[in-house]
Formats: sequence, C-alpha cells, structure tokens
Amino acid sequence: MDNKKVIVIPCSGIGKPIGTVSREVAYEIMRLKPDTAETVCLAALTSGDEESIKKIKDNYVITLDGCAKHCAQKNTQAYGKEPDKNYMILKFAAQNPDKKPEGIIDIGKGGRELVKTISEKIVSDIDEIKQNEKK
Amino acid sequence: MEENEKKLSKVGIVSCSGEDLPEGSISRLATLEVLHHKKLFDTTTICLPLYIAGGEGDRMFAKNHPTITVDGCEKLCAKKATEKYSGKVAHSINVRDFIKSPDDVKNKSNLNEDKKRITSEVADAISIKVDEILKENNK
Repeated sequence: MDNKKVIVIPCSGIGKPIGTVSREVAYEIMRLKPDTAETVCLAALTSGDEESIKKIKDNYVITLDGCAKHCAQKNTQAYGKEPDKNYMILKFAAQNPDKKPEGIIDIGKGGRELVKTISEKIVSDIDEIKQNEKK
Repeated sequence: MEENEKKLSKVGIVSCSGEDLPEGSISRLATLEVLHHKKLFDTTTICLPLYIAGGEGDRMFAKNHPTITVDGCEKLCAKKATEKYSGKVAHSINVRDFIKSPDDVKNKSNLNEDKKRITSEVADAISIKVDEILKENNK
C-alpha cells in the first residue's frame, strides 16, 4: 500500500484576510488528518529548499491559493510537481457569503466557519485521493 | 525642504510566514501587529512567495526602501531572498532569538493564544528598528 502523505501548501498571503483563511485551512486539515496531512513552508520551497522540494515530489500535493496570482500552485509547478488538487480559496468565500472573514490577524467567527467548511470539503477530497491509491 | 530631499516615509517588513513552523506564525503575526497597529503609517509589506517568484513591483520597492526581514528559522528565507533580489537589508530578525523554551511554541496555528508574549516582543523589536531606520534616513 502507498504511504504517501498529502502535503497541503497554503499561500499565506499577508495582505488579505483570505490569506489567513488559506493558512488556517491548512492547519485545520492537518488537525483533522494528523497521520496523512503535512505542510511545507512556501517561501522555503520557492527559495529552492531541497528538503521541501523532495517532500513535494515524493508525496501528493494540494495547493491553496488566496488570489489570482496563484503563488502556491505556480511555485509548486516551478519545481516540476503538478498539484494533485488546487483550490482557490476566494471561490469558496464567494460561495459562502454568510461566512465572511473579518480581519487579517483575527478572521473572526465568520472566517472560522469558512475555514471549517473549506477544510471539510478538502478532507473528503483527500479521502478520495487515498481511496484511489488503494485501487 | 527641497524637492529632492523628500523624507523617507516607509520601511518594508518582509515576513517569512513559515507554514511548517510555529515561529512562522509568530513572524507573520508580529509583522501584522506592526503594520496594522504599531507603525501603521511607517511600514508596508510584501508577500514573500510572490516576491521570490518574481513580483517586479515588490522587488523595486525593496530596492528603493530600507527593509526589515523577520524570519522563523535558521534558513532565513526572507533575509536571503531580499538580499538576493533587492540588496542588503537594513535589519534582520530571527524569531528563534526570542524563544526561551521550546514549550513556548507548540501550535502552528494563527488562532492559538499561547504565543502572544513572544509575538509582542518581536513586534516591539521591529517597531524600535523602524523608528531607528526612519530617524537615520531622515537626518
């Protein structure tokens, strides 16, 4: 059986609440899937850190982007790894207007609800990825 | 003041944001504390992954303004990237220099409460340097 991990890479964009949401989604997924999900530092990966590059090449990768610049996805692709899934966090925010993040430092109740909603969706996709590898 | 002697108005703060380390959350939160509260009108920031990947506007800003980098580990991604693309940084901070015990930092999440003291100390250190840099550059 394949024991690959799922590396979740959020953009962590520092200028917008949605960057904090993407970061918190990564942490929530790791909390929900402690034996499966891990992360790498995006800036270290982008800087060419060999440990990070090996980690993404040897495992499944999910990227979480907060804006149209797609830093997480593009920087993963730049090291020869096509993410198994890429999520645009802004899209989830648009689909859940009642769950609005409040600030960058504290995303508030709405932001935390959005984190929960997005994380649950991605966790079910992770289960699917892991299920498919058994086939 | 002469037209060509305009005051230097902002210092760039570049945070590592290391997702895989509790210290990354501290560096990000301390940077945000300075940007949004302590030095609202004196500082600005750039997204480090975007900057490294080639954000030209951001690289120009770091070339033309003094920059403080805030890193969470010895890899010093923020400092090394800024010096590679934009020249020498005005000051560099490593969050690990503020951590007295590994028990101080356990949780990576932004929403955790147990890192406030260290975050506050790092934010204070950044603010002091912002003042020093602006004072020095505007003599």
